[in-house]
Amino acid sequence: MFSKTIFKQTLRSNWKLWAIFTAIMAAMSALVIAVFDPKMIQGMMDMIKSMPGVADMIDESMLSGATSLLGMLGQSFYGMQGILLGLIFVIMTANTLVASQVDRGSMAYLLSTPIKRTRVVGTQALYLISSILSMFLVVTIVGLSTVQLAHHGLWGTEYTADVKAAAALLEVDEETVDEDLTLIRDNPQAITAGAEARGVDQDVYTIYLNQKLANNAYQAAADALGVDVAAVTADPTLIRNSPEALSAAGAVLGLDSTTYATQLDQLIAQSALSADHAQEMQGKVVAGLTAAAEVLDIEPGDLAQDMGKIKANPAALGAAADAAALIPAESFPEGTPPAAVHQANEAAFLSIINAQLANDEISLDNGLDFSVKDYLLLNLGAFLLMFAIGGISFLFSCVFNLSKNSLALGAGIPVAFFIFQIMSQVGSSLESFKYLSLNTLFDPNAITSHGTFVPQFAILAVLGITLYATGIKVFKEKDLPL
Amino acid sequence: MPLIEINSVTKDYGDGRGNFDVSLSIERGEVFGFVGTNGAGKTTLIRQLMGFLQPDSGTITVNGQDAWSDAAEIKKLVGYIPGEIAFPDAPTGTAFLRQQAELLGLRDMSYADYVTEKLQLDPTANLKRMSKGMKQKTAIVAAFMTDADILIMDEPTTGLDPLMRAEFVDILNDEKAKGKTIFMSSHMFEEVEDTCDHVALIKDGRIIAVKSTLEIKHNEDKVYKLEFRTHEDYRRFLAEDFEHSEQRDSQNQVLVNVHDTDIDRFMNVLTYYPINFITEIKYSLEKYFKTLY
Repeated sequence: MFSKTIFKQTLRSNWKLWAIFTAIMAAMSALVIAVFDPKMIQGMMDMIKSMPGVADMIDESMLSGATSLLGMLGQSFYGMQGILLGLIFVIMTANTLVASQVDRGSMAYLLSTPIKRTRVVGTQALYLISSILSMFLVVTIVGLSTVQLAHHGLWGTEYTADVKAAAALLEVDEETVDEDLTLIRDNPQAITAGAEARGVDQDVYTIYLNQKLANNAYQAAADALGVDVAAVTADPTLIRNSPEALSAAGAVLGLDSTTYATQLDQLIAQSALSADHAQEMQGKVVAGLTAAAEVLDIEPGDLAQDMGKIKANPAALGAAADAAALIPAESFPEGTPPAAVHQANEAAFLSIINAQLANDEISLDNGLDFSVKDYLLLNLGAFLLMFAIGGISFLFSCVFNLSKNSLALGAGIPVAFFIFQIMSQVGSSLESFKYLSLNTLFDPNAITSHGTFVPQFAILAVLGITLYATGIKVFKEKDLPL
Repeated sequence: MPLIEINSVTKDYGDGRGNFDVSLSIERGEVFGFVGTNGAGKTTLIRQLMGFLQPDSGTITVNGQDAWSDAAEIKKLVGYIPGEIAFPDAPTGTAFLRQQAELLGLRDMSYADYVTEKLQLDPTANLKRMSKGMKQKTAIVAAFMTDADILIMDEPTTGLDPLMRAEFVDILNDEKAKGKTIFMSSHMFEEVEDTCDHVALIKDGRIIAVKSTLEIKHNEDKVYKLEFRTHEDYRRFLAEDFEHSEQRDSQNQVLVNVHDTDIDRFMNVLTYYPINFITEIKYSLEKYFKTLY
């Protein structure tokens, strides 16, 4: 089925095209990974979500997906550029390997040797498959290296700057601090050092620490309950009802079960309340942001990404506080002086900013939460898609004796698939186009958000194998004008 | 048993194109020419011989093996020059020949070097910038280098200048002397007449005739052209008992068919006539086939 000599010759005349496309793809994916900044993207997402009307139009999962490195990669590189580049490479190579050689007549020289047709064309199929495979291997290796170099996302657990600073101050090792953040929380000096290391205010840092601790507590509780952390976050009563979970979570916070249970009760009551207020508050904050942006003379969008600017400018803060008027006027006692109202509003807005800034820090930490397994699956999926599409182009390359006919279908169909896929994402009215496209079977979002993807992968693999095998069989049996 | 046996092969492309009920047999050590106009179906037959096309009906065997189903096996015995030469991707002629040798499992390049030298080919030239003649020479080297027992060539001399054509005929005669079986197509009668033992004429996909070149060379029915000094002599000669294939009154010329057994009587009669000249009109393959067209 395979001739080493032909493989070598095919490699010799085709490696340049492979090298060019592989280099471009690897560089693009590396760039996308390197410039990824979760803080910035989080800010953008918040901005989009807060715009009335916009949030309804966009798929919620799309927004949440993009805040992690993998989610963002899945939507950009593996949803668009990488697939398009791979497509072009596969189409060009598949045509060169068979149809173009028959069209030119140079195939006569391969077939006037004692090498069987099936071996000749089988070797060409093998070259196509292995060139796609090695292309994604290179992209994967370069991608992983970039993740490590730019984000320390792979190994040598990278402790955040504040943990390092606090550990140095407390004279314990970093791991101890990372595992027990109460060491920082309970030591004012450590808080100062940590805040400085992170480059945020102490009050922001304190909120950040508490939030982080709360998250860790949820994690511990989830572990104790043997469920996903998302389940616990969505429904904290799960913890409340389990003594083991309570004590595990409490331990993280340095509290006993009873104290933690009380805290949890408050939290549950609060969250029920705040759900109603969230919408209203959001609107007020946007109003405040817009006012502050006017004072600072920058775009509200830019300001949303960097709310620290408002804190640094008292005039902006004042304007924002007045515009937002977070505290309803009726909650003040009759005859409260306007200055006091203003002050209270300012304090409220400040706390919103602090919470937001702390939130940004959290997502900064989470953004680097990089799953090598998911990344490999993403690349495997992209490979399988290209493998199947390569099968289409290869089949037509085997069927037709003229390059132009081979390209008409061998390029036309994959390009149509790509366009249908894009169209299906544009709006819900065109969504049914996804059933017309093979590309739908590779859904990066399903991989990064742990949806179903294994059956799709299997279909791509089986389809690909069938297409290549059919191509070889057709070529073996057809008349060649050589 | 013939080395190459083509048995009522039909490959119908419609509109009278292709091959129709073609049967030929070529013995081992024979040089077989295959002549016909453009589009007569020469290349179609050669492609079937090479196993590139499958006959609609009929069989082709080479050395007892089927040309279609055992194509790869047969290639061990065959050197091939395609009708339209398109080389695979290779920077130079040398690189191409080495690449081809690799595929053929050939290690010894000495015969390739010999043919290269004989054709005065510089194989180090850039393959894509070669002239038509150089490409043809490179293709010839590629076909001959394995010293294969059977050579199948589709119009191998296209693009060669007359000197190189003579050189090529020389090489062919060497190969023939070594006992090679050669099957070549051509649209030039002289070429096949010089080299081939047998020549087949194909027209509209059908074999019209197969002729031995030896028979042509040793033809006993000769044609002489005579020109008489005066019109009276001319008229007088016409009354003699000879077969005239053509009479040209205005020029006092006549073409006379004379069998070799009758040559003495012819010469005797001529002594009584004053003539300007007498020439023999050579009988050729071309002439023979023209009569069949």
